[in-house]
Amino acid sequence: MLEYQNLFTRVQVRTAPDPGLPIDETFGQRYGTGVFNYWAGKLGDAQIGPIYLGFWGIVSLLFGFLAFEIIGLNMMKSVGWSPVEFIRQLPWLALEPPSPEYGLQILPPLAKGGWYLIAGFFLTFSILCWWIRTYTRARALGMGTHLAWAFGAAIFLYLSFFFQPLLIGSWSEMVPFGLLAHLDWTSAFSIRYGNLYYNPFHALSIVFLYGSVLLFAMHAATILAVSRLGGEREIEQITDRGTAAERSALFWRWTMGWNATMESIHRWAWWFASLVGFTGGIGILLTGTVVDNWYLWAVKHGVAPAYPAQNVLTPEQLEALRGQYPSRLDNGFPTYIVPAPTTMTDSLAAPVDSAAALTAPATPAPGGTP
Amino acid sequence: MMPSVNRILLTAVVVGTTGCQFFGSVDRDVVQKGYRGTAMEVNYVSRDQNAAMAAMAAKMPAILPPAGESPPGPLPWQNVQVLNDISVAEFNRTMIAMATWVAGGAGNCSYCHNLASFAADTYPDGKAIYTKAVARRMIQMTRNINSEWTEHVGNTGVTCYTCHVGKPLPNGLWFYTDENQILRHYLDGAGARVTSKTIAPSAANRSSVKQTEWTYALMISQSNSLGVNCTFCHNSRQFASWDQAPPQRVTAYAGIQMLRDVNTNYLAPLAPVYHPSRLGPKGDAPKAQCSTCHNGVYKPLYGFQMAKHYPAIWGTHTDWVTPFPPAYTTPPAPIVMDTVAAAADSAGMAATPAGVATPAVTVPPPPAGPPVRTP
Repeated sequence: MLEYQNLFTRVQVRTAPDPGLPIDETFGQRYGTGVFNYWAGKLGDAQIGPIYLGFWGIVSLLFGFLAFEIIGLNMMKSVGWSPVEFIRQLPWLALEPPSPEYGLQILPPLAKGGWYLIAGFFLTFSILCWWIRTYTRARALGMGTHLAWAFGAAIFLYLSFFFQPLLIGSWSEMVPFGLLAHLDWTSAFSIRYGNLYYNPFHALSIVFLYGSVLLFAMHAATILAVSRLGGEREIEQITDRGTAAERSALFWRWTMGWNATMESIHRWAWWFASLVGFTGGIGILLTGTVVDNWYLWAVKHGVAPAYPAQNVLTPEQLEALRGQYPSRLDNGFPTYIVPAPTTMTDSLAAPVDSAAALTAPATPAPGGTP
Repeated sequence: MMPSVNRILLTAVVVGTTGCQFFGSVDRDVVQKGYRGTAMEVNYVSRDQNAAMAAMAAKMPAILPPAGESPPGPLPWQNVQVLNDISVAEFNRTMIAMATWVAGGAGNCSYCHNLASFAADTYPDGKAIYTKAVARRMIQMTRNINSEWTEHVGNTGVTCYTCHVGKPLPNGLWFYTDENQILRHYLDGAGARVTSKTIAPSAANRSSVKQTEWTYALMISQSNSLGVNCTFCHNSRQFASWDQAPPQRVTAYAGIQMLRDVNTNYLAPLAPVYHPSRLGPKGDAPKAQCSTCHNGVYKPLYGFQMAKHYPAIWGTHTDWVTPFPPAYTTPPAPIVMDTVAAAADSAGMAATPAGVATPAVTVPPPPAGPPVRTP
């Protein structure tokens, strides 16, 4: 009997729980035999468990818990160990990275960023262990490792927020742990590097992100639309194409002239999703290391359009108004300057010919000199 | 069938009414400020604006009638150290106005004066009237603002009421604390720019992301002080660009320099004059920021020209010498701020990265002298 199913599935199977394939349980075992849950069944499979953690799963959870605790206890300390204030101010609480003063020092004082580095190390280790788990579990079940590599793309983006500060030469550039704090960091990062929207890899990442959303919606809608013809049995339809595949393909050929296939749509989706993290990570690694002002880069390469000036200023006025970079004053606006690495070429002081040709704008920017 | 139709109708009604409220409101106004398509615009709700202006106008004291004829001859006052270049009638009128602007009422002379002897600088019990000493300095400051800082205040000028709005203590006064260090930008000479002027990284700009957050916080405090968004002064696609910024940014920049002049040369040096209860937790004098005058409005008092009715607060004659009364307490020691550098020093950080000096962060007494005009 065909049964119409919406988001809340109306038909639930009740039988002996399926324990899954026999596997090598040397380093870990399955916990439980599986139970059925009515509400889980509303959204997906009604069976919960058995759960397999294994060595890497347990290590990952352990270090993840440690990182979570370090972050939470530091936040708790910042509100004087008051549970009420902790909940009230939680969105604004943060565990911040060390200040620029400490550069790449292995362990600054704990209260001045040391805890941040420890928590970050534990969290990273936990994530990497979880990646190993996705890989080994897929192998153990005889699956491909597509999930692990897609997860790897996300981890690459995550790690680029570690490698970029490493290239800059200061832990201070890392992302703080905190709900609004990491959003503020995002905003500040974009402003510091002259508007990240002009970073072409950031743009690519957005393209793939929204592209993933679009593909997901198109695919889901197509399969749901032909499910009454057996469309949700996609794997069978790949090798033994039925009327569901024919009709959905025809639909797209008629509406947009071309169609993906039952198999290729999943490869499209996989690549789009994975490239979000991959291109985004490249964009982060180039920021502050190769390009310090993405807007000026976009002006130089004709990406940013020029508009008529709103402020008509003489060169003298411009020079007088031009803001100055913060510097260490004895008594001043708080300054957090990243110490310059000795290897860094000062493109202002000594423009080397090849480097200057690459970096210095030959003519004044059409959008004006900011 | 009917339930579906009803549902669709209901949805249409809800979307229609809420949508009209949002998009079709006659109250909501968008003013284009820049080139088309660049989203350089000011959004405001005229109903709210009108209500705020009406509330402000209701509180504002009436302009006093012009001063009458003064008796001829030299000024009869004793111990008049400031405002001694105006007529007797104008002097009296200004005193009444100041009582209204600052002390809460035209009759409240005793806020700054010993009623037994208006010329005296002390109360009958011999204690110094600190409000009088402060008021003298504030009159000099007001004249300085109106004559030297027309880049910021234009021809509108300021009066005592611009900041005090009828109260002894203006809004938005700030003291040194560990939380509001960004406001030190309004006292000191450090730059706030974090965006590079070159495409490639260079040693010239090593501003960290944290530094950017300081500048961001400073800018948001200005935004809140004026009740405007970023595009009032900046083209947000490149905050650093002057060409693409609205002209208001030039005015605002002059305002920052004016604040530095006001804080450095007028407000901060008053620390020994104030009663200790007026000082901050670290013993420093109250200082001004944008909101002190602006009170959440892009032009203080919505640009109402109050100052032009009071000739006493105009003029270039600001070089009166006004000796301060003896201090209540010994002047506070230089203030050590809890910055990262200071904390690192105290933590025994022997090795700091090369090229970064970590001097003791102290607040020396500000220099006397001409206005600080360069950042």
